[in-house]
Amino acid sequence: MTGYLVRRIGQAIIVVFGVTLLVFLLAHVIPGGAAKAALGPRATAIQIQDFNRTNGYDLPIWHQFYNYCRGLILHFNLGYSYKKNQSVWALIQENLPKTLVLVGISTAFAVIVAVPLGVLQVVRRNKPIDYVLTGASFVGYAMPAFLLGQLLILYFAIDLHWFSTEAPQATTVAGILSDPRGLVLPVFSLAAITIAAFSRYMRSSMMEAMTEDYVRTARAKGAGEGRVLFRHALRNALIPIITLLGLSLPGIVGGALITETVFNYPGMGLLAYNSALNNDVPLLLGTTFVATLATVVGSLLADIFYAIADPRVRYA
Amino acid sequence: MAAVGSRRRGALKGAAAVALMVLCLAAAGCGGGGSSSGSSGSSTTASGTPQQGGTAYFAEGAQAVPNFIFPFMSLAFFSVTNGPQFQQLMYRPLLWFGKGTSPALNPALSLATPPKYSNGNRTVTMTMKPYKFSNGETVTAQDVVFWMNILKVEYTNWAAYAAGGMPDDVKDVTAKGNTITMTLTGPTNPYWFTYNEVSQITPFPMAWDISKTGQKAGGEACGHATYASVTTTKSTSKSGTTVTPTSAAAKSCVAVYTYLSRQSGYDPANPKKTNNSLKTYATNPLWQVVDGPWHLTKFTTNGLAEFKPNPTYSGPVKPKLAAFVELPYTSTGAEFNALVGGKIDVGYLPSEDVTSPARSPLEAGANNPRLSGFALEAWYPWGINYFPYNFNSTGDGGNAGKIFKQLYFRQAFQLLVDQPLYLKKIFKNYGVPTYGPVPVLPKNSFATAEEQSNPYAYNVQKATSLLTSHGWKVVKNGVSTCSDAAKCGVPAGAKLDFTLQYVNNGPAEQQLMQAQVASWAQAGIKISLTTATFDTVIGNATPCPGGCSWELENWGGGWVFSPDYYPSGEELFQTGAGSNSGSYSDKTNDANIKATNFGNATLATYENYLAKNLPVVWQPNQAFQITEARKTLQGVFPQNPLLSINPENWYFTK
Repeated sequence: MTGYLVRRIGQAIIVVFGVTLLVFLLAHVIPGGAAKAALGPRATAIQIQDFNRTNGYDLPIWHQFYNYCRGLILHFNLGYSYKKNQSVWALIQENLPKTLVLVGISTAFAVIVAVPLGVLQVVRRNKPIDYVLTGASFVGYAMPAFLLGQLLILYFAIDLHWFSTEAPQATTVAGILSDPRGLVLPVFSLAAITIAAFSRYMRSSMMEAMTEDYVRTARAKGAGEGRVLFRHALRNALIPIITLLGLSLPGIVGGALITETVFNYPGMGLLAYNSALNNDVPLLLGTTFVATLATVVGSLLADIFYAIADPRVRYA
Repeated sequence: MAAVGSRRRGALKGAAAVALMVLCLAAAGCGGGGSSSGSSGSSTTASGTPQQGGTAYFAEGAQAVPNFIFPFMSLAFFSVTNGPQFQQLMYRPLLWFGKGTSPALNPALSLATPPKYSNGNRTVTMTMKPYKFSNGETVTAQDVVFWMNILKVEYTNWAAYAAGGMPDDVKDVTAKGNTITMTLTGPTNPYWFTYNEVSQITPFPMAWDISKTGQKAGGEACGHATYASVTTTKSTSKSGTTVTPTSAAAKSCVAVYTYLSRQSGYDPANPKKTNNSLKTYATNPLWQVVDGPWHLTKFTTNGLAEFKPNPTYSGPVKPKLAAFVELPYTSTGAEFNALVGGKIDVGYLPSEDVTSPARSPLEAGANNPRLSGFALEAWYPWGINYFPYNFNSTGDGGNAGKIFKQLYFRQAFQLLVDQPLYLKKIFKNYGVPTYGPVPVLPKNSFATAEEQSNPYAYNVQKATSLLTSHGWKVVKNGVSTCSDAAKCGVPAGAKLDFTLQYVNNGPAEQQLMQAQVASWAQAGIKISLTTATFDTVIGNATPCPGGCSWELENWGGGWVFSPDYYPSGEELFQTGAGSNSGSYSDKTNDANIKATNFGNATLATYENYLAKNLPVVWQPNQAFQITEARKTLQGVFPQNPLLSINPENWYFTK
């Protein structure tokens, strides 16, 4: 296992380096470059030259990349965003916890709801409740996030006044959690779509597990239906969900752009989107770096938990 | 949002309510109360007794949040959000511009008397009024010299700097008692100097004359130094301009600027250095020294700013509100939801939520039915809208630039831009036309009757005739070709086939561009549209004296005259000007501009010439925003065309 981990971490470093290099090169071929993006339409040629000199954009591109990597490795300096007037790390520190709260809670909520729903559909297979839940999950899966968010706001915030039109506006996790009512609509909006997807996976995985030999053996040995379901089938049926959860990590860290936009909740999604839209090169690199890390870590965690859930899996 | 039907609403309500109840109960329990944090609850009529106190909530533009407090900004931080809608609430400029909806100088709200010109317009004199900073300091003439001293050493970091303007044209500035005297290097045009140069000054308190935290106010040598004692040398190389301070006073000014800038979040000496000053705006004692009607009491890095009245404000209009709060929004949709949900007192109606057209640009139509408690009024900026031709373009087989240089072509192109129709059908009358280099609306004394008459009113026949008579074989809805080089002024075989890149800011912009393409096609001018982000478009729309491939670039925003309020065009249309994106060059125009800057000419000759000479494509200018103000909040209208806000004028009524 240790050897496997070392190999995977080595691969992860190569992936992170490769992605950073690629984004760095792409960001530097955008017309106008970082200077024009930061200074706007009034910038004169002299002002652009001054900006490039101050920020090292006048150096050869390999030199700029070397400086970037050096700052990152030696000082964990991800650079400075002119658009936001903050260091990139400060922006990530502020936005990442907010995103983790929103997307984390919604993912947890989705798992808590989707797993029993999937099991229920198998237990009541081809019965009315199965048809209803299948139909509902298709609707949920097909529903655009912005539309669901707007509808929720319209009915539950504006018409019924049950909730706020926007997510909590605090900048700290404690502040956000102290306004749980503000979280209800954005969490539900995000979770609804995830529940739809996860419950479908859970249903098919559970159906497959129920046809396995070990289930038949358990029944032959006189195990009750509840024991068969939860002790024997469920654990094996959860393996695809573990993989899905691992692959959800980049999404949890990367943010939920549409939900953040609709519910006035600036997080990692909006930060990354705007950095690309505004040619904010340091911020674009910083958010990509974090998302890449989350991707490789999520994939690694999925493999590890896969082995824990299924004792037959051994990594050498 | 307003278009969602009630039947759909009823069908979804039940199912979603069940699921939401689960979350709701788990979270906090649902009360029946609304979530409004607004100050005045439900709407009432506009009449009523003025009330002292209350908190007014103001919506910032979508993703436009204040992030620079020091009122000496480089271009990177130069924005309406940072300047007129944030800094100026606390730190007043020397001269205030905006009288009702006019951009004129407003002596009553200025810190000094209007400038007086003497010595053949080479000397400018102003007298300071008895204003105080909140720390007890008097706002003095020396505070103006302090700002000028900083400008002298840091003009490359001042957003409004233009070559030939301040400090280049200022020989000396002296403070004597409460009188400030500026001696210029040559004669100036009083209008231009007042509106474009003096307009930039913000007096700095001596409390800011420091270069490290804890230093005694006035501890540096910059604030009290004479302008003449601040000396520098300038060198320009391929990599930019370097201003080197030579005197002790100049070095001190650099140290002061660097320190104040760092306290605002940006380290000019080392931008990459971690700096968390943004979080300290409301607590840093430096920024609490104000001469404006408000001081900052809360600020979050996501853009929430809370202000309370400055109890020692010396101006004529004292705040009546107990607090004024600016709220950040991620999108116009989120802002609209908050507006309808009652969280905002002054916000804006997104264009997609306009349900009735305006009766005229100056008279709003019926409000969105969801906002019956609000009054609405369009807010027009002091600006013009246009997009440039690239006169040096190598596109269209090397002919694009040559074709754009032909006045008859530009005339034909402009004749096919039906501004009144687009304003009515696309912008629902919430917009104003642009017919030349001076804004036609808001109403002002600078726009001539000739410009206002629209020299190129929509006329397909005339456009086609112009092209035909100049040797073009016009193919309606196709591509016209030059068949007579001598008449065309470009090689035979050249085609009217161009690419226009624009910023797709929404359905209205898209409709406008598509309507224009269809209109140009009627005269055989083929325009292929591409879209890109704002930053990409302005990145492309850069002057290229040696030639480059872009042909037409439309960033959609044209130009707003601020803080250069005199629309004299030296930054936009003069040969070689930094913001002359398309490299327009015309000797008559250059002479006209010079006369408005340094002679005694009015703008008439300059603007009438350019309105006809078409250095760019004039296009309609959408309202800056359609403002919604709660009816129980008075004083919001009229709105300043320079986009500043004056919540000291606002008050709630019962």
